[in-house]
Amino acid sequence: MKKRLIFASALTGMLLMFGLAGNALAAGESLGKCSVDEYAERFGAAELTPENIAEEENINAIGEIFDSCIEAPSPIIPEINEVIWGGGAFVVLLALMLWKGFPAVQRIMNERSEKIASDLDEADKAKTEAQAVKSEYEAELADAKSAAAAILEEARQQAEVLRSDLQQRAESEIAEMKAQAASDIDAARERAMGDLQGEVAEIVVGAAERVVEANLDAEAQARLIENYINQVGSN
Amino acid sequence: MSEEKIKSYAQAILSVASSEGDGTRVEDEIYRFAQVLQSSEELKATINDNSIPSARRQQIVEDLLEGQASQASVALISMLIAAGMASEIKAIADQVVGLGAESRDKAVAEVYSVVDLSEDQQARLAAALKTATGKDVEMKVIIDESVMGGLLVQIEDEVIDGTVRTRLKQLREAF
Repeated sequence: MKKRLIFASALTGMLLMFGLAGNALAAGESLGKCSVDEYAERFGAAELTPENIAEEENINAIGEIFDSCIEAPSPIIPEINEVIWGGGAFVVLLALMLWKGFPAVQRIMNERSEKIASDLDEADKAKTEAQAVKSEYEAELADAKSAAAAILEEARQQAEVLRSDLQQRAESEIAEMKAQAASDIDAARERAMGDLQGEVAEIVVGAAERVVEANLDAEAQARLIENYINQVGSN
Repeated sequence: MSEEKIKSYAQAILSVASSEGDGTRVEDEIYRFAQVLQSSEELKATINDNSIPSARRQQIVEDLLEGQASQASVALISMLIAAGMASEIKAIADQVVGLGAESRDKAVAEVYSVVDLSEDQQARLAAALKTATGKDVEMKVIIDESVMGGLLVQIEDEVIDGTVRTRLKQLREAF
């Protein structure tokens, strides 16, 4: 990882260096100064004056100097000073990047990675929890369904027991009422028979009493006494 | 009233009656008076009424029995009323006849009948009862209309019932 970063930084520095070198004229040296410097290098102490500048030789020389100054620098090989400045800047920039930038980026990336990993863990955890909740919910739902089914079954059984109990009780009460009715009928019949018998007995005995009283004269009394004496004596 | 006290009065009456000569008659008269007293609620209430002075009640009894009983019997009954024993006359009379019969080696036979029994009937009945129970008895005939006909004899705790009333009752129960 770190090697790739260093390689990327070096490549970036080279591109910057060559890019900057291509634009050296525009960036640091004017056409006038280039011309003066070129003129001084070619003609030494000879100076251009208003009197000799119109000379053809000078005009041609200036033209060549202009051409040479105007001529674009090499697109590949930079100027030395540019290499030096660019290299220094690259080194400084690379050092800064290695010292502060990369660790910061590394830290940010690590934090990001850790955050993503944490988020992923949390997501997994949340997913696990969700699964657990779902399982729990499904278990509770199953339990609820089971409990509901059990309650329904219990209610059905209770209803069946109640129905059976009521039916048995009703049958028992009906049987009891029938037995009671039969008993009442028998008792009423017995009572009626008893009353009738009593009335018949009363009538018969009353009639017998009246007959006996009507016939119990002195002679009958004497006969009864005689019978009594005879019976007692014969025992 | 204790049985002992009643028995004491009965023995005293028997002693007095015996000393007067005709003990059996006195026994019989006291017994008959007790029967009359039992059959008359009004007389019994009057004799037992302590709000009436005992002298007045004695006078009533003496007036009632005058000419009906011996003087000894009247005097003994009057004495019982004066002694506050009016309510126990029946029990004392039963003891008197019982003890008297016992002294003669006999038992008392209370005979309940609608009509009185002739001497002949009483003699034959006594003989029949001796045959049945093995006891010599003295008859005490009690006229009781409720028996309707026939006889009921009670000797001590034994009852021989031959009354029309009982026959009709049995007939009623047979239904």
